[in-house]
Parts: sequence; C-alpha cells; structure tokens
Amino acid sequence: MRYYVDNQHEITIPAASMAELVSGILARYPVLRPHLFDAEGNLRRHFNIFVNGANIRDLNGMDTPLTDGDKVILMASAAGG
Amino acid sequence: MLPELSHEEILRYSRHLLIPEVGLDGQRKLKNSSVLVIGTGGLGSPVALYLAAAGVGRIGLVDYDVVDQTNLQRQVIHGASTVGQLKVESARAKMLDLNSDIQVDVYNEPFTSENAMRIAKDYDVLIDGTDNFPTRYLSNDVAVFLGKPNVYGSIFRFDGQVSVFDARRGPCYRCLFPEPPPPGLVPSCAEGGVLGVLPGTVGTLQATEALKLLLGMGDPLIGKLLLYNALDMSFDFVTLKKNPKCRVCGPSADIHELIDYEEFCGVPGHDHEDGSAGADWDIEASELASRLNSGASTSLSADLLLLDVREPHELQISALPHALNIPLGQLASRLSELDSAREMVVFCKAGTRSARALELLVSAGFKKVRNLKGGINAWAREVDTTLPIY
Repeated sequence: MRYYVDNQHEITIPAASMAELVSGILARYPVLRPHLFDAEGNLRRHFNIFVNGANIRDLNGMDTPLTDGDKVILMASAAGG
Repeated sequence: MLPELSHEEILRYSRHLLIPEVGLDGQRKLKNSSVLVIGTGGLGSPVALYLAAAGVGRIGLVDYDVVDQTNLQRQVIHGASTVGQLKVESARAKMLDLNSDIQVDVYNEPFTSENAMRIAKDYDVLIDGTDNFPTRYLSNDVAVFLGKPNVYGSIFRFDGQVSVFDARRGPCYRCLFPEPPPPGLVPSCAEGGVLGVLPGTVGTLQATEALKLLLGMGDPLIGKLLLYNALDMSFDFVTLKKNPKCRVCGPSADIHELIDYEEFCGVPGHDHEDGSAGADWDIEASELASRLNSGASTSLSADLLLLDVREPHELQISALPHALNIPLGQLASRLSELDSAREMVVFCKAGTRSARALELLVSAGFKKVRNLKGGINAWAREVDTTLPIY
C-alpha cells in the first residue's frame, strides 16, 4: 500500500471504529479509494484489514470497534515473485 | 522404508545430523522427499538453492522463461554466463553443482490448467514462487485438489508475505484473497521494482517452511501470515482463518476442478510487459520518430504532446525532450492540465502503465491519444540508441 501513500509506513488517525478510521485514511489519501472499495462500496476481496492480528472479516467488519493503541494493518495481495 | 545415506552424504550433511530435530532419520526423510518449485525467479532462486543444499531428494522446477540481464539483480541462481538460457536449465546446473546427489526434474513449460495436476501430483510440497495472479490461484487450487501444502511467498518493493496454505489443516490462498485485484490496480515488480535482496529473505523463509513440513518439525505458518518489511525490518504476524465461503475449500465449495485463471484474473499468466494498448491505440517508436521529425522541432510541443507517466525518479534514467511528466498515480487528479483537443502520445518504461493511462484518458473523453508501444525502452532500442534500456 505504501506505493500509494508517499511510502508512509505508519499513520495515526483518531477513530472509534474501523469505518471511521477508513474514512480518515481516505480523506488523507483519496487515491486509495479504488484500492479499498469497488463501485458498490464493498471492501475489495483482494484487500484485507487486520486489527491486532485478526481479520476484520472475522470480527465485525467495518463496525469493528477500535480502542487506544490498536494496531491496524491494511494489506493488499501482491503477485511479485 | 527410508533410503540409506552414503558415507559421503553423511559427511556432507554433518551439520544437519548434529541437530536432534533432523538427525540421521530426518536427513533420510529429506532424501526421500520431493518439492515442486513453481517459478525459478526471485523467490525460486533461494528456495531451489537451499532445498538442493539441504538434500531434498527430488526437486521439480517449473518455468518457461529465459534468463535475462534484468533478472541478475535478484535471481541469484542464474548468472551472467547463463543469460539467454532456459531458466530451468540454468537453475538445474547450479543446483547440481551444489549437490549432485539430488534429482532435479525440469518442466520447461507454462504452469497451466492443462498440465498442473500432472506435474504437481508426485510432489510432497508445492512452493508458490510465481510472479503473477493467475498462476498463484492455479497453484493454490492444485494444492487444494491434490491435498498438498502450498508454501506461499510474494514480494513488492520492500514488502514480503509468507504463509503455508494447507486446506486440510487451515485456510487456503483463496480464503485470504477470494478474488484477485482488478487488472492494473496492483503494480507488478516489472512496473514498480523490487529490492534485490527481498526475494532472498522471503524465499529463504519459504525454504525453511518447506523443510519444516518435510521433517514434521516446528510450528508451520499454517493459519498465519507473515508480513515482512525491509525498511522497518518489521515482522508482523496475522491470524488467518478458513473462510466458510471459500469457493475451493469451504463446505459449499463450487469450484471442483481447475478453471481458466487468466480469465478469472483478467490478466496474462506472466509478468512480462507487452507494452501495447491494442493495435488501434498504439504508435510504434519509429512512427513517432518520423512524426516528430516531420514537424518543426521548435513548435513540437505545440503540435503533439508527449505525456510521460513514469515516476519522477525514472526520468533520471532516460527521458524524451519536451515531454510532460505526470505519474500515472496522479493522472486522474491532474486531467485539467491537459488539453483534450491536442494530439497526445503517452509513454512509460515499457508501455504497460501508459496503456493504463490511455484507458483513463479515453474514459475521460480524450480522443486524440496514442500509446507508445514498448515505451521509452522501445524508443531506446529503435530510435535513440544513446539512451539506456532498463
């Protein structure tokens, strides 16, 4: 993902839920929107978001609550080899 | 019945035999085992070398590419003396030089739905060292259908991912990535580059996981994904669960045989840039040169706009005079800088990014736009040989 965010590896954005966090990220890096969401607004299926090591698909998706110090990883698939 | 080791082999593997977790029995297990390495590029290089050195008895290599100069920055199994040779033959020679006691089977053919099951069925472990999405989904599905572990690794720039997908004991690749990215959204190493040592790190981790699986020791990366970043030297682990909706390994799976993976992914099963936007939209380097020469060079920028969609640092390698640079990632937000009434030729390194830029421009209403086929590299080959090719 760094490719699209000026090589930033870590950003801090105040948010109480994953949806808020993603909105904050997209406000700062609008170029990421087509990477995260399809035309219908669904999270793309080559894209994964983890909170403290757990996939939000196994939690409450975009409604997953966030608390202070949570580590969120945004990860797209990569094919390079 | 495990094969015996000769005195020479006992000497060769002395450092393994000293580890209780391997020992004589473990080394005999390795001699009796087999691994299929899919792709002999950046990841396949360290995997094949270390598995050969470790004494894995039979190693298969699948690749249909030939060694070229741009491989040598990271594909350390090949060398300057093997440029132009088949990768599988170049790799086999190096592996047998390292360890002539092993058997190396080569498959100089693309890994496809037609041959994949036949090639993979007689190996204990598969290693996904490919460079494209179609072959990754194919490798996964083959592993699921054959009930074998698939040791996954992928790389881009400074980032690597490693896991062991074994649908019998945990999630598969499709559980994590049910669908590939839309074509063009995720850049390949040929477009975005990769730190040369990165596949060394990631491939060595894959080789480690393969040895653990073969020896039945340690805690394999099943149900876990390692995310490595070389710049931070960070290793993050995340938990992967089986996806109940997985189309190949879930309880209501609807894919029971190999499919057309190029169609599924919408991209070809290789990482080579063909540099074309389609015949109707391409302009050859020689044709562009004669167009430019026929116009007065002083009024060139008024007649025809050359749009360079590469990253700014690439302009230090090669550039065309009078070209306007707008990196592909910024193009959508900078369309107002362009005059749609003016003729435009878009170019990049090899024609892939510019083809994507052309699509974007056409969908935004630009009509007089062409793609420099093969990019500035084609220009350097055919028109201005003083420019380097990269």
